[in-house]
Amino acid sequence: MITLAAPTVVRIGAAELAPRVRARFGGELRRAGTFAQLCLLGAQACLDAAPPRGALGMLWASSRGAVGAARTALAEAANGEPVMPFTLVATLPHLAATLLAQRGAPPTRAAFVHIAPPDWPSLLGLAQAWLTGCEQVLLGWVEEAAEKHGTHQSDWCVLQKEPGELSCEPLREARGALPATSADWLARVAAWTAAPREPLALRGGGEAWRFAAGR
Amino acid sequence: MASFVRAAAVAGALAPDAPPDAAPDLVLPPVGGDWMGRAETVARAVGDALKSRAGLDEREWPAMPCLVGSSSHFIGAREAQPEAELGPPVEFAARLARCFGAAGPVMMVNTACTSGLTALALARDLIDAGRCRHVLVLGVELANRLSSIGFGALGLLSASTAKPCDRDRDGLVLGEAFGALLVSGSGAWRIAAAATEIDPSGFAAPAPNEDVFARAMRAALSAAGWQAAEVDLLKLQAGGSPTGDLAEARAIRRTFASLPHMVSFKGAIGHTLGASGPAELALLLAALSRGRVPPTAGFRHADAEVGLAPEAADGAPVRRVLFNLAGFGGHVASLALARE
Repeated sequence: MITLAAPTVVRIGAAELAPRVRARFGGELRRAGTFAQLCLLGAQACLDAAPPRGALGMLWASSRGAVGAARTALAEAANGEPVMPFTLVATLPHLAATLLAQRGAPPTRAAFVHIAPPDWPSLLGLAQAWLTGCEQVLLGWVEEAAEKHGTHQSDWCVLQKEPGELSCEPLREARGALPATSADWLARVAAWTAAPREPLALRGGGEAWRFAAGR
Repeated sequence: MASFVRAAAVAGALAPDAPPDAAPDLVLPPVGGDWMGRAETVARAVGDALKSRAGLDEREWPAMPCLVGSSSHFIGAREAQPEAELGPPVEFAARLARCFGAAGPVMMVNTACTSGLTALALARDLIDAGRCRHVLVLGVELANRLSSIGFGALGLLSASTAKPCDRDRDGLVLGEAFGALLVSGSGAWRIAAAATEIDPSGFAAPAPNEDVFARAMRAALSAAGWQAAEVDLLKLQAGGSPTGDLAEARAIRRTFASLPHMVSFKGAIGHTLGASGPAELALLLAALSRGRVPPTAGFRHADAEVGLAPEAADGAPVRRVLFNLAGFGGHVASLALARE
């Protein structure tokens, strides 16, 4: 059994990202694209609540990743314009791990993945496997706003071996568990932690996980 | 439980003056026409080659997970149809997995040039944790303008050919590849360690610094329980980058008192970005199965500052391999492989 700490849900309007980043980090994140900044904002908020205590893994996922920068880069290339170097840099989602390393929390393992909506339990399974070599795994789901005035999402939690307030474990039987998606499972866990009376069981992709108070 | 590379296959394009020792199993068809159709044709051909080598019961494939490492996924398809929406990259991974008959969970892994090796490390996690018996790992980087234009804009490309470790090296040459690995609980090559390091100063740098290379190699050696002197062969990241090759070389000279055999494949098939892990590993294992460390295409004149001279070796007993990769953003991976 492992424990889950600091479930963190960040929802911000697309126009608010830059001021929020400036407020949290004391300035612009030079050369960082929207997606990497959004990842860092949520990941740092999570680590503020559950500071690293040793080897830290960083495993995060998204449906579309740095799609805004990719669209910009494709448009520049299609118009025959030279793609600006930092437009290309902004298309690289894994750079969020480098940004975190710059802020004193270098991940000893890092992987960014795209997964299908029901497959979020595979992230928990991998994070559990990483805990054989890491003290903690920072686990996230990040999605850029689909439109200019939409809402960005950057949801994170920390999984760890040591005892904590919330335990989580895979269930042998998915029946009875509530369906959840990659985009909403972390928010549902965060909402449940406000008053975690009964254990919460969520399922996706044929697997289920149980979250309970105490260990 | 331990994880092994059970079988490997690769499609790519061999540079005109490269030695045939480093030739991919399959030659990629010409670029043009239906981008996605070409990708799926290649996937099916590589799948046939992989399956013929894996010797796995057909019933194992339908439930098999598939992890695809790529930095550009199906950007090339979108370039061919500018009006189309840029779909979720995992859909590309799922279409490729289906070409192999693998219908289990699918992930698209993107850590830039180390993507394929990151996927391999995740596959190892799944096997070691007992979550599955076999995992299909793909490294895929197919023709697209964005990668070429982007690397050009960053000033990283050679004006001529890739010359790894050579005194006349002047940059990278990009290549296409489709590499496939079957990772299982048994096989000829055990994955003894998979270490990664991140260079905090490498956010927008084309290559990590030598300390990060050295840390990654030492971490892999330590996790494998090996001394540096026990490594028989080092597969270099070196792709002809003036600064990147030098950083890796300095780290190697700090780590190894006596240099092992060395090889780089980027002069043969180009820098295949996110595909380079599975693609270069497939080339390496094929050469070693023939008892040969292949020559490094593009290396002709030693550079005193680099101080490495990768050379072919026939009949060299290679039992332990260290396999380096580095990527944009300061990510370095070092994989330790042991012949069983």
